[in-house]
Amino acid sequence: MNILKGAIAGYGPRKNVVLGLVRLASTSSSGASSSSVKDTAITEDEMSHFNALASSWWDVDGPQRILHKMNLLRMDFIHTTIREHLQLNEPNTPVEDEIYVPAYGLELLPKPIRNRIISEQENKRDEILGKSKLKALDVGCGGGILTESLARLSFIHSVKGIDLSSDVLQAAKVHQLKDPQLTKLQYELKAIEDLPSNQQYDIITMFEMLEHVTYPAKVLEEALSRVKVGGWVFISTINRDFVSWFTTILMGEHLLNIVPVGTHTLDKYINQTEIKDWIESDSDRSEKYKVVRAEGCIYLPAYGWKFTENPNVGNYFMAIQRKK
Amino acid sequence: MLFKRLLATAAKSVQGPVLQDVVIIGGGPAGLSLLAALKSSSITRNLKCTLVEGSSLEGIREFADSPPEEYTNRVVSLTPKSVEFMQSKIGNWEFMNQDRIKFYNNIIAYDSQDRTSRIVFDGSAIEAGFLAVMAENVNIQSSLLQRISQLKEEGVDSTILDNTKVLSIGSALKEAEAASESTNIMSENVATASDWPIVNLSDGSSIQTRLLVGADGFNSPVRKYAGIQSRGWAYDRFGVVATVKLQYEDYRSIGWQRFLTTGPLAILPLTEDNATIVWSSTPELSEILIACDEQIFPELVNAAMTLDEVSLNFIYAKLKKNPNDFSVLDDIPWRQSRLKVNDLEENYPLPVTEVVPGSRARFPLKLSHADTYTSARIALVGDAAHTVHPLAGQGLNMGQGDVQALVEAIEKGVTRGMDIGSTLVLEPYTSNQWPGNHVLMGVCDKLHKIFSTDWYPIVFLRGFGMKNLNMLDFVKDMMIKNISGR
Repeated sequence: MNILKGAIAGYGPRKNVVLGLVRLASTSSSGASSSSVKDTAITEDEMSHFNALASSWWDVDGPQRILHKMNLLRMDFIHTTIREHLQLNEPNTPVEDEIYVPAYGLELLPKPIRNRIISEQENKRDEILGKSKLKALDVGCGGGILTESLARLSFIHSVKGIDLSSDVLQAAKVHQLKDPQLTKLQYELKAIEDLPSNQQYDIITMFEMLEHVTYPAKVLEEALSRVKVGGWVFISTINRDFVSWFTTILMGEHLLNIVPVGTHTLDKYINQTEIKDWIESDSDRSEKYKVVRAEGCIYLPAYGWKFTENPNVGNYFMAIQRKK
Repeated sequence: MLFKRLLATAAKSVQGPVLQDVVIIGGGPAGLSLLAALKSSSITRNLKCTLVEGSSLEGIREFADSPPEEYTNRVVSLTPKSVEFMQSKIGNWEFMNQDRIKFYNNIIAYDSQDRTSRIVFDGSAIEAGFLAVMAENVNIQSSLLQRISQLKEEGVDSTILDNTKVLSIGSALKEAEAASESTNIMSENVATASDWPIVNLSDGSSIQTRLLVGADGFNSPVRKYAGIQSRGWAYDRFGVVATVKLQYEDYRSIGWQRFLTTGPLAILPLTEDNATIVWSSTPELSEILIACDEQIFPELVNAAMTLDEVSLNFIYAKLKKNPNDFSVLDDIPWRQSRLKVNDLEENYPLPVTEVVPGSRARFPLKLSHADTYTSARIALVGDAAHTVHPLAGQGLNMGQGDVQALVEAIEKGVTRGMDIGSTLVLEPYTSNQWPGNHVLMGVCDKLHKIFSTDWYPIVFLRGFGMKNLNMLDFVKDMMIKNISGR
């Protein structure tokens, strides 16, 4: 039973800890602390936890295997989201040159016509992506699992990975040198708020990161302010519920040993709806940004990661687009 | 002096290994298919690819413009699935010499121990409308080379190095590991050394590659480099192949297969009066088949397709003493005369009249299957991954299936921005392809074993099985769909 004690101790809110929504809302009061400790910083014991993991970060069969597997789903999420939301027709395209986008479901159409419309749209998407040169920022890049993947995509112009753990960044840099293809990639030991605010990005990613920082709302705000119009902020974190505790802490850390013990703290999980509400809560924010897509996901030991239909339970990915 | 030394170092750095994304070892149908498929896919065509082949491909290049008059003896059957892959994904089908391929719709398999047990497979049940296509290996390879050239003309570049042998394969990581092991000091180099395989070639150059693919046959050096175990056994049987002429063109387009205790004998139709035979036989019999006179061989095939095993053993014994014993030419028709003419015409293949000189060859039969098709920066396809008994004509098709699954895995890896040498990208190829291949190989192996006995209870049971199976059309359709890959 000893093994369970740690897990059970982690269940249920602890005293004096601000939870999800409150943590999100408490950004304004955090201004004072920013001079000494970064708002985006993770707590000290979490930092040492990640430093200890640096050496095994890139061992795909090692302790971070589940993260490597999750990266496959992350890249699918990013790729399909960007692809599906490309603007196929420029505003002033003459009608005869327009790519046909029916206002109704394609499944109503006969197969040959449907296939032609789809292939026409897909070709146009390839064409647009072929010309795209997007700038990406990976916040909390860790050992660079996602950062490297972004840097290999043909439509990405450059990627910057930032993190606050120098050890994992070192692991990232050593690994980058092993692949001569990774020329569009650059790492910096920096917090997001220390990046010049006029540096704007097409894609900002914060995967498995918000649940580790003390003031997630501040981090989100910093990210949203740095995204270009039409650009994307991709985040993933974990709902604060029993299922998450059961899968990520009890099973993941303590019983199946899939993730190193101490990786997660339930109190720091943020519900999907809390982020949506937070964006809606401010009129300026809700006008500029929109949650376009949110998907739940689950890890099945023999299979890998898989999307679920419910983003309100367990882990989830979210795509926020800047409209204005 | 100094200037000279500078020049020397400059030259050395120029000579460092060439970097590639994919290096394919082996220019057989599997290796060439992989290169052509990677270059045909809009997702993977930007990968830098090199194919290395030890022998010359000149003969195959010549086939395109001046094919030999007679069929070559290495003929394979392609399933509808393989054909579709070549048509829609690789795009080499249009370059096949269409006068030298033969579609067929039926296979009749029958038992030498039990005259009444036979099974008829009809390909019209499947969507493709045909059961298989017979094509020469060289025709397939030639079409792939032409497709690769066509892609080059369109600006999609790739490199083929033929007449180039692989001298050794290594990697900086393996060297660093060996060094730290011998000195017992954990070297810093182990953490920073690249694990990309370096292939050293007989022309003095070397290539360092993100992904190394072994399409290098049964004795695959790539498989040995990766330390992947391959398990299996030799059958103590040889496959004898030959190109033969039938009495006249067989318009029925039926593939015939007779299960003899020495192994199955198949006659598969080609265009006009041509046909190819694959005769699995004991080492002893295979020697007779290779040694006997060109006049005797066709009659021997006819005998093995029609006569009972007692008669056959009598004839084999005569030929064993003297492979040119022409008295068997009288024996065989006399023994066949006991069969009814109607029966012979309807239920047996057309008589073989001659064998194309020099087309007879034999090769040992074995089963082998690699434990996995992938490890870090390594993938195996085709015979490097598996060899199978030829009785169901699946060998080359399994290789095509491998190529298709590997290309899909790589496409997915590129779309996800992954390092395509990573096991995270390659593992799905093994998990998608290995189990199906394993089942298929098991079925072929069991068929061989069930039919290579004349022990009565087994003969009775297999006869019972075949007769019943022949009546159950839906089971047969299911089997056809499996065999044809649909």
